[in-house]
Amino acid sequence: MKVPLIWLKEYVDFDLTAEEIAAKLTMGGLEVEGIEEHNGSPVLDVYITPNRGDCLSILGVAREISALLRTPLKLPAISETSALAASAVNTLASVQIDDPDLCPRYAARVVSGIKIGPSPLWLQNALEAAGQRPVNNVVDVTNYVMLELGQPLHAFDLQKLENSAIVVRSATDGELIQTLDGATHILKSPTLVIADASKPAAVAGLMGGAFSEVTDATTSILLESAHFDPLSIRRASRALNLRTEASYRFERVVDPNGVVRAINRACDLLARIGQPVAAEGVIDVYPQPVESRVITLRTERAASLLGMELSSETCAQCLEALGFDVTIEAGGTNLLVRVPTFRADIAIEEDLIEEVGRIHGYENIPETLPSGETTRGGDSDQGRLISSVRRALVECGLQEVVTHSLTAPSAFDTAPDGTSTRVPVRNALSVNVSGLRRSIIPTLLDVAQHNAARGQHSLSLFEVGRIWQYDIVDGEPTPGEYLSIAGLITGPVLPVGARYGTKPAVADYFTIKGVLDRLADRLKLTDVTLRPASEREEWMPQFHPGRSGTISLGGARVDGVIGELHPELASKYDLKHRIYVFELSFESMARAAQTGSRRYQPITRQQAISRDIAPRLKDGVPFAAVRAAVAAADVSVLLDCRLTDIFRGAPLPEETHSLTLSLTFAYKPASLTDDRAVTEAEVTEALAKIRAELEARCGATFVG
Amino acid sequence: MSVSSPYNTAVLRPNVYEDLNVSEPIDNKTAEALKAVTAAASVAELTAVELRYLGKKGEINELRRAIGTLPAEERPAFGASINEAAARVTEALEDRRAVLKSGELRAQLQAESVDITLPGAVLPAGGLHPLTITADRIKEVLGGMGFEFVDGPELEDYAYNFAALNYPEDHPAMDEQNSFFVTDDRLMRTQTTALQGRIMANRRPPFRIATIGRCFRYEAVDATHHHTFHQVDIFMVDEKISMADLKGTLGTFARSMFGPETLVRFRPDFFPFVEPGVDYSILWQGRWLELGGAGLIHPNILQAYGINTEKYSGFAFGLGVERTHMIQTGVNDLRLYLENDVRFLRQFQGA
Repeated sequence: MKVPLIWLKEYVDFDLTAEEIAAKLTMGGLEVEGIEEHNGSPVLDVYITPNRGDCLSILGVAREISALLRTPLKLPAISETSALAASAVNTLASVQIDDPDLCPRYAARVVSGIKIGPSPLWLQNALEAAGQRPVNNVVDVTNYVMLELGQPLHAFDLQKLENSAIVVRSATDGELIQTLDGATHILKSPTLVIADASKPAAVAGLMGGAFSEVTDATTSILLESAHFDPLSIRRASRALNLRTEASYRFERVVDPNGVVRAINRACDLLARIGQPVAAEGVIDVYPQPVESRVITLRTERAASLLGMELSSETCAQCLEALGFDVTIEAGGTNLLVRVPTFRADIAIEEDLIEEVGRIHGYENIPETLPSGETTRGGDSDQGRLISSVRRALVECGLQEVVTHSLTAPSAFDTAPDGTSTRVPVRNALSVNVSGLRRSIIPTLLDVAQHNAARGQHSLSLFEVGRIWQYDIVDGEPTPGEYLSIAGLITGPVLPVGARYGTKPAVADYFTIKGVLDRLADRLKLTDVTLRPASEREEWMPQFHPGRSGTISLGGARVDGVIGELHPELASKYDLKHRIYVFELSFESMARAAQTGSRRYQPITRQQAISRDIAPRLKDGVPFAAVRAAVAAADVSVLLDCRLTDIFRGAPLPEETHSLTLSLTFAYKPASLTDDRAVTEAEVTEALAKIRAELEARCGATFVG
Repeated sequence: MSVSSPYNTAVLRPNVYEDLNVSEPIDNKTAEALKAVTAAASVAELTAVELRYLGKKGEINELRRAIGTLPAEERPAFGASINEAAARVTEALEDRRAVLKSGELRAQLQAESVDITLPGAVLPAGGLHPLTITADRIKEVLGGMGFEFVDGPELEDYAYNFAALNYPEDHPAMDEQNSFFVTDDRLMRTQTTALQGRIMANRRPPFRIATIGRCFRYEAVDATHHHTFHQVDIFMVDEKISMADLKGTLGTFARSMFGPETLVRFRPDFFPFVEPGVDYSILWQGRWLELGGAGLIHPNILQAYGINTEKYSGFAFGLGVERTHMIQTGVNDLRLYLENDVRFLRQFQGA
């Protein structure tokens, strides 16, 4: 809100510069966001928090300054009027409220013999300084009073109102009104309208109608000053997509007991600028007057909650400075506080404590630390597991990224069997935020593309984050939230400097598989099963069918995917190299992971014996089967089994290959004293067992 | 150089020369072999010399054939002479081999030399996102102050996001938090404060809770606004919790995050879930920087969860993770965090 300093000084005296008063207001709770100038005079741009409707006026801001500076507030002198039935005004117009819940009070006065024309310069200047465009003398006066007192007013051309009647009622569905701005609105109940005998003449609290607008031809006006239910104004404003200075104020609660004062102020000003005196009396329909609240403030509680020493007198002074009536009860420890009705935000004792605190000054609050019971602090179990995952992936050389949860549609939005789908955002205005991601892979791809476009082609990325999908729960589609781990690798994985004179190694399937292997090792995932995508190609349409698969962590359930992005999908991203990704359900991983302290395993101090074996296998026998066969041999002295080579070609027959398995044997001691060297006989026996299992389970043959 | 040989030439030689004239071929062969040893230019050539003279059928050994033609009493001296010759050649050979070997090794090492100032083969290093680094630091500090971290859902119930936090129905305060709705009653949380209701529904005081996570507000994206951002929310409920406790906790936290000289100040502000409500700033490098909102938890909230407000009170404060990192590092564009340009991310790795 624009607050001209000159205008402010009509109600409160101060000797501070604009900057000083801005700092005072800001530290008092009304944030001054800027200082502008109008005709060489400073204008404060004040941000009013939504609870302080009373400060949406020059007088309201002046009241704050008066409290903060402990300087008296000078209220403008306004003449009073009677609301007697015998008053002249009742012969000129009538007011009827059909819906007193939405309009608790409606006041009207009539001025006849008006001559419409420009307002005097001082009035125009005042409005312009406060950011309002002058229109004509009548409209300018209503705007001036709104800015000064915070009460929006409206002027109707009385002769245009059928039967000179005002009826405050809900619109009927489909009722039309053309507003001052020329727009035509189709109204719906319960939008409140100010109607004449037959039709809407204004949308209550929002904007007047075109037909009853004050024009140059207008000779008599009906001035409206009313109180509307804030929620009803807010809803009407949204329904009509119409926001005005009036609705902004009504939404934030205007003082119901300031209605008549404002209309009288307008009449005074019209007279002051040479217009006729208003007809005697005011029509004031106010069936249930709002009473001011009385709240008890315990000084001790104020001191306790603010954490500083306070006397009842200090509390009383702070509140009185803000316009509250305070009585200190006998004994002096409690205050009876009558809250003025313009302070709709003050409802409970704590609200008063805040007022005391901020007027007394928060800088007076000392720093102490809570002195109660010690509580166990630290990260959650899940948080620690996430940290372990991050650490393992960083060890693999992956850079963590944080990508968008709200995304455009992608190739990963629907489960192949249709059981789950992406969760759309209902009120999305842009396709880029049209739904919640169902997978992290698409946003990793976006990041890769963004970086590649800037010359970064060697990328190893990961993210641990939330994903969402509609699941069918009890037959109903329900949005579910999950945690997911995903990674992407593309391009050279070693810097050129690693092997001068050779080409840098470019990531392939085994690079990403290595990341999964490391993750499995770090989190002790002992049962990781990969099933080739080729087995159920329709399940992984986004992937290269020969270089991808599903991940299961100890069960038939698919817990993740890994592999090369399908070249057709990859071509949509402008990347130089092939793209390898994985994604794993965090929840599945957490269930399968063996967390907690690792048990110590004694290690032998004796020499180990190494032997290589070279089983020949038919192509198509997966290595997983070889490993399973070695495990099935159940050799207690087998320390390690590593695949060190795969050989194809002559002299091997077609469609066969041979593996080199490097086996390391050692005795596994139960304790240090139990230790001994593994014997040749044990190794020979073990090799025979392993060979036998490989022959039986994998159809392996051995030469020699 | 001294070889301890059982055959002392000084003793044997007079006999051989005076009584027998059979030592001449031995001397000649020895001289020839020694010459060849000296002439050998490489270890490989030397090995060939060794084979030629000292091999089983080498030329020096072949001289032994003549032994059968000698009288029996001369044979021992003759044999000793050949042995002595072989020893001399062997000694020379080993000396020469040592010389050649060290030269060859030197040459080889020289040939293997590299430019030691070339860039190293730095193995690819991973790293954490700056927001994770900042969040981890925040967790460390608050964890040490007894705050327990709990996660809440990002897709949140409308009730927890607003109603449970004392927002009046359809209040203008919500205008500042335009939301992404998924259904009528579920939305992307606009504030991590949404966790408070979930905790209070299940826990009794005293408790100290903190949460870090993503929040979403419908905003146009620019250098200082984003529809997605990360927030920390901290709250505690105990007996006699005051604004002074809030200030002290904030001060301790801020000094851990931003340095021991950091000061904290309050300014009145409005959030429906706190009363009194403030925003707080820190004095950092000579400037007051607004960091977040804070206040005493609104009694309406405590009472809604059956907490006796005459006995208990609590405070809450929040701050932005991006904002914290921006203050610490001078990053001036909020968009960088979700853009994930690796040139940006890598700047914050390491100590």
